Amino acid sequence: MTVFVVRRLGLLALSLLGASILTFALLRLLPGDAAASVGGITADKAQLRSIRHDLGLDRPLIAQYWTWLTEVPTGDLGHSQLNGSSVTGELGEKLRVTGPLVLGALVLALVFAVPLGMLAAVRRERRDGTAISVASQLGIALPTLWVGLLLILLFAVQTPLLPAQGFPVEGWADPGEASRSLVLPTLTLALSEGAVLLRFVRSATLDVLHRDYLRTARAAGRTRTGALLRHGLRNAAGPVLSMLGVQVAALLVGAIVVEKVFTLPGVGSMLVADVGNRDLVKVQGEVMLLVAIVLFVGFLVDIAQRLIDPRLADVRVREVTG
Amino acid sequence: MRRSALRIAAVLALAGPVLAACGSGGTPNPAADGANTQAPAPADSALDPNATARVRLVLEPTSLNLTTTAGVALEQVLLDNVYQGLLGVDTNADNKIVPALASGFETSPDGLTYTFHLTPGAAFHDGSPVTAEDAVWSLQQVLAPGSKQPNAKTLATIAGVAAPDPATVVITLRQRDTNLTWALTQRQGVIYKKGTDFAKLDTTENGTGPFRLDGWQRGSAITLVRNDAYKGAKAKVAKVVLSYIPDRNAANNAQATGQTDIETAAEATLLQPFTGNDRFTVLRGTTTDKYTLAINNAKAPLNNPAVRHAIRRAIDKDALIKSLGGAGVRLGGPIPTSDPGYQDLTTIDPHDAAAARKALADAGVGELKLTLKIPNIYPAAIGDVLVSNLKDAGIELTVKQQEFTAWLSEVYTARDYDLSLVNHAEPHDVGNFATPGYYFGYDNAEVRDWYAQAVAAPDERTRTDLLARIGRRVAEDAGADWLYQAQTLTVVRKGVSGAPQHHTSSRLNLAGIGITK
Repeated sequence: MTVFVVRRLGLLALSLLGASILTFALLRLLPGDAAASVGGITADKAQLRSIRHDLGLDRPLIAQYWTWLTEVPTGDLGHSQLNGSSVTGELGEKLRVTGPLVLGALVLALVFAVPLGMLAAVRRERRDGTAISVASQLGIALPTLWVGLLLILLFAVQTPLLPAQGFPVEGWADPGEASRSLVLPTLTLALSEGAVLLRFVRSATLDVLHRDYLRTARAAGRTRTGALLRHGLRNAAGPVLSMLGVQVAALLVGAIVVEKVFTLPGVGSMLVADVGNRDLVKVQGEVMLLVAIVLFVGFLVDIAQRLIDPRLADVRVREVTG
Repeated sequence: MRRSALRIAAVLALAGPVLAACGSGGTPNPAADGANTQAPAPADSALDPNATARVRLVLEPTSLNLTTTAGVALEQVLLDNVYQGLLGVDTNADNKIVPALASGFETSPDGLTYTFHLTPGAAFHDGSPVTAEDAVWSLQQVLAPGSKQPNAKTLATIAGVAAPDPATVVITLRQRDTNLTWALTQRQGVIYKKGTDFAKLDTTENGTGPFRLDGWQRGSAITLVRNDAYKGAKAKVAKVVLSYIPDRNAANNAQATGQTDIETAAEATLLQPFTGNDRFTVLRGTTTDKYTLAINNAKAPLNNPAVRHAIRRAIDKDALIKSLGGAGVRLGGPIPTSDPGYQDLTTIDPHDAAAARKALADAGVGELKLTLKIPNIYPAAIGDVLVSNLKDAGIELTVKQQEFTAWLSEVYTARDYDLSLVNHAEPHDVGNFATPGYYFGYDNAEVRDWYAQAVAAPDERTRTDLLARIGRRVAEDAGADWLYQAQTLTVVRKGVSGAPQHHTSSRLNLAGIGITK
């Protein structure tokens, strides 16, 4: 297990390095730069040159990359090219919105998707099972944007229960108000991600239902539900877990859309604005943070799978069982 | 030796609106969904001095440094409210130039010396008085070689700035410059305390305005608090929260549900929640937002005026304005209704698709395929209308939406385009057509000459006449096309008075906003 963790950590570091090169290079392909953003439609060519020089945009790309790369491990993601604010500091602020949003949606999605997905599998030939299944299909089909707008219309405009948009200017100083403004966004994100997860739990459970060990357990006297919970859950958890790793990435992407619909000052809207302004040092920091989160979750999922399924520890056994 | 001592009001009456003299076209239309006037403000005793006003804005600035970063988003928040120059602008009186840190000024008969008298009692937010030395220092920073001030060139005629005594600032010019007073009302005219570290303006401010900068929650809001030590008319509310809500539906929801008190730049096609609802007033305001279809004058076959005229004739402006909800007026030339030199030029190149088609054929241009580059912040509907209009005239138009930053580098800097659409929001910017290097690619020696004469004009009438002549010539040359001059709609909650109505995207004086107890 230790060797596995060390090897897996090495892979994580390599992936991050690769991602940093890719992020840096791809962003440089975008037309326009921060100097254009600063100069607007009033700066002449000489002023643009001077702005470019001040921002260090006329330095060789390798040098720009190296400066950034050597700062990142110290936790310093650099400073905005437009207003000098610390990228790490601003990300910290924005995570106070995006963090609760994504985690809340993940928990909510899990709480509903796991039991309902299992129910839909077990009762797949009954009305309720079919109903859940159809509802989840619908959940996947509906665009997040539309769901968000609908929820705003229903619960903020027609029945003014919750704020229609935005996050309190004072942040979490008033936890009640801050939480209230995250209810609809969290629900929007959870609905679309939960629907996907539900489909996956359902098919993983269906797969397990036909396994020999479940029949054996029932022959040994367990009820179907008992057998499923005792033996099926652990076996179905593996694929669901790896799906969850992918889902975290989907949640982060979904958060960008949801933050836009609800005008939330989170990492997603920060990213969109900074790309627009070509504040590339900030964009690099934001993308790297998101990439790091996804890779780290993948790492955790791999470890968790080993713990759940000891067969994975022995490569030979894995090959035999296929 | 000053023969004529003109008090500020006299000068400004001249510099102000020529609109009235020039007549039709510019007066906003009091349509059913927009009022020209708001109810008179209640007495101050009826207002809550501790209130917070919440205002929706669209475009968040990327920096709070007026000395380096271009863009109207900074000016909208900071000018008049936090920072001031010697002169200011009254947006409710067609951008009339008004006193600010200077209570008045005189010009010498040769027009080369301007003497400003500082407003008694004016002070920086740190308590220190505004002195002539501060003004001299601030203007010298703009004039210094290598100045990063985006608008520095508008003060290029200044030969020297001096402070004969602590309350007097004397500006001497190399040549007459009728644009000087206007330039001093803008960001390049802001007076900072001598020795201010411009690199720190993003985090600290020491302005002179009726508000202090309280905080900037990036991606969300900027908050201003009342400067209780302000000597002029104090702000009527204790605090203003400027919320940046780019999405028009979200902004409407915020206003309809009471999250904001004032919604600026409301979408004309989405006013249903507010019209016929006595909880809200919708104000219709003038702007200098010129939705300008740049036609690359330097590129064949667009270098042929006949082709440019054909393009202009192909576009049905009335239908376009209608499709955008009617929040605009036709504009036939480069000068908007509230700028000096405005005249109604909409009779030049009237809409006629058949005539456009014929003109193209006569010019020997058969199949014309053009690309329109348009920043994605503008309504996509504009592109659709243009495609269909130009198709009627036999021109195949491809619309390429792009980010504004990409537009800046491809179109504005590299001039790689056929047609481009941008809102030129700045007032007094007809000089762009007298600048041969500008991205329009327009160059007319006579226009350049007239502009130089207008800048150096001995009196306001001569200047206005010359500017009007430039406007007409540029339109007759089809130097560009002007789709419309936008009107701006502001939704105000009942109980809120003194909301800014005109020119709100470039200047938003918040001190007059009051909230009833």
